[in-house]
Amino acid sequence: MGLAISALIFFASRLSPIDPINSLIPPDSAIDPANLAKLRQQLGLNDNIFIQYFHWLKEMLVGNFGYSIQNGQKISDILAQRMPATLELVLSALILSTLFSLTLGLFAGANRGGFADKLSRVLAVIGISVPDFFIGIALLNVFAYRLGWLPTGQRISPGETTLWQRMPHLVLPVATLTFAMLAVLIRYTRNSVLDTLNKDFIKTARSKGVPEWKVLWSHVFRNSLGPVMVILAFRLPLLFGGSVLVESVFQWPGIGSTIVSAVTASDFPVIMVISMIVATAILVSSFMVDIIKSILDPRVRLGGSVTS
Amino acid sequence: MSSKKLKVAREDSTLRILLRQFLKNPAGVAGLAIVTLMILGAIFAQQVTGYDQAAFDVTASFHSPNWHHLMGTDQLGSDIFARVLYGGRASIYIGVLSSLLGNLIGTFLGATAGYIGGKFDAILMRISELVMTFPQLILVLICVSLLGQGVNNVILIFAMTGWMTTFRLVRGEFFSLREEAFVEADRAFGFSKSRIIFRHMLPNTLSPIVVAFTVNTAIYIIAEAGLSFLGLGVPITTPTWGNLLAAAQSPVVVNQYWWLWVFPAIAIMAFVFGVNFIGDALRDVLDPRQRTASIKRTLLSKIIPGRSSKKGNS
Repeated sequence: MGLAISALIFFASRLSPIDPINSLIPPDSAIDPANLAKLRQQLGLNDNIFIQYFHWLKEMLVGNFGYSIQNGQKISDILAQRMPATLELVLSALILSTLFSLTLGLFAGANRGGFADKLSRVLAVIGISVPDFFIGIALLNVFAYRLGWLPTGQRISPGETTLWQRMPHLVLPVATLTFAMLAVLIRYTRNSVLDTLNKDFIKTARSKGVPEWKVLWSHVFRNSLGPVMVILAFRLPLLFGGSVLVESVFQWPGIGSTIVSAVTASDFPVIMVISMIVATAILVSSFMVDIIKSILDPRVRLGGSVTS
Repeated sequence: MSSKKLKVAREDSTLRILLRQFLKNPAGVAGLAIVTLMILGAIFAQQVTGYDQAAFDVTASFHSPNWHHLMGTDQLGSDIFARVLYGGRASIYIGVLSSLLGNLIGTFLGATAGYIGGKFDAILMRISELVMTFPQLILVLICVSLLGQGVNNVILIFAMTGWMTTFRLVRGEFFSLREEAFVEADRAFGFSKSRIIFRHMLPNTLSPIVVAFTVNTAIYIIAEAGLSFLGLGVPITTPTWGNLLAAAQSPVVVNQYWWLWVFPAIAIMAFVFGVNFIGDALRDVLDPRQRTASIKRTLLSKIIPGRSSKKGNS
């Protein structure tokens, strides 16, 4: 599977009509065609496409990701530099949005038509109708510029600063991303809770005289978690690229802004490495989904294919 | 008396009943009104605002909203109201066309996979799963790096990365339709596969496809805005809502010239709200499980007055 994706990405990038050499040297510059040919030779752009592919794959497997066409930096260096920024942003947003939507979804499902239910509906409508980067811009305008309470994002690199100094810079980007991730998960939790509430064992528990909060906590909530966990595992790939727009709004130096600048400059080596990382994350997460399913539901056996 | 009323109801075509159902839904009507108004505004942008697409006036740059410029002006002195309306042309065009194309792909694949099943279906399912788990924006960006920018490329990329929901929907419907008696009868008649799939089975899945079309249109309009905001969607020379929002890439604009990004965003939200309202109303009206119920309700309401106020729970 991973091999198929890598081949697809590689050959597609080679078949693209965009010539990577153009981003290195402007096509209208007066450069000697002989030198240009020599450069192509050096960059290995003239080799047979299959040889190029296996060469690239071999280097990828031993951890040599190659060099960026834009500035000649080592791609592994770029990743090492940018990855922590994205991880810290997306991980906090993932945790916060999960906690928030699980709580809200539980209350919304348990008390249909109540305040939490209404709030979750409003959030769901906003979540699908408002572009998330617009929320970021609006937050930036209000809290950073008008009120001046918070800095405008722009991560301070760790090292010379304390965690306390860096925290305020995280608030707005994380808030935006959290909000963007909420809607789907709330709706999912709510529906899952409603499903569970209709099951017979809830009736049994209630008729046994178990207090309502205990029914909700130890019967409903636990059994509703299954499908929600699956959604969460599917969100794992977001760690490596779920924050492109938010990073752009807050000038956050993460993977998202790296891929944007790479696409702008047709920097294929960088694009290919990042997409390979995302693809790997997808494979890992779908593997995790299978494991979670088998833990939660003993009827699902690992090994056989699961069709849903 | 009741038999006379029933006769009146029978003369109504299904379409008219559906239309009446739709018009009874206030949110749906409001959505339809918003969307129609905005499309008309985009078409007649010149007549509505009195400004040309490329009109600018450098002496009037960064005016805040006033009577001459209802939504203010940008750094070149172009009228924002005019640009928002002109931007609607490309944005709505991209949203509708990508949704149409994506739905076509999804419907075709879903119908064939759902009918044929087996390995073909398993492979397509696997592919759709893969595309769905890929963070969508990253996938779109990879495609942009391969195909380049431009309105048509954006439409093509959106369709290629967004056919999965329709595919799964149609496939599921076909799975259950496959066992129906009329399909078996078709097979017994010896009709060709394509005739059974596209002439006989497909019309039965039309309503969820229509609903998916509206929902996807809304999604693509937001996606276009995001892509153009990054400067990787439609080239900046064509105004779209996303390209207008891209002005907010500059901190000065975010800080001081709020009208440059608030109004395009309002345009996007209004249109998306409208489309989603239409989609919800259509779902209520068209959902086959609810349709029988609602037609019965219309019929009943003609016999027993007072039954009409009873509404189904969504």
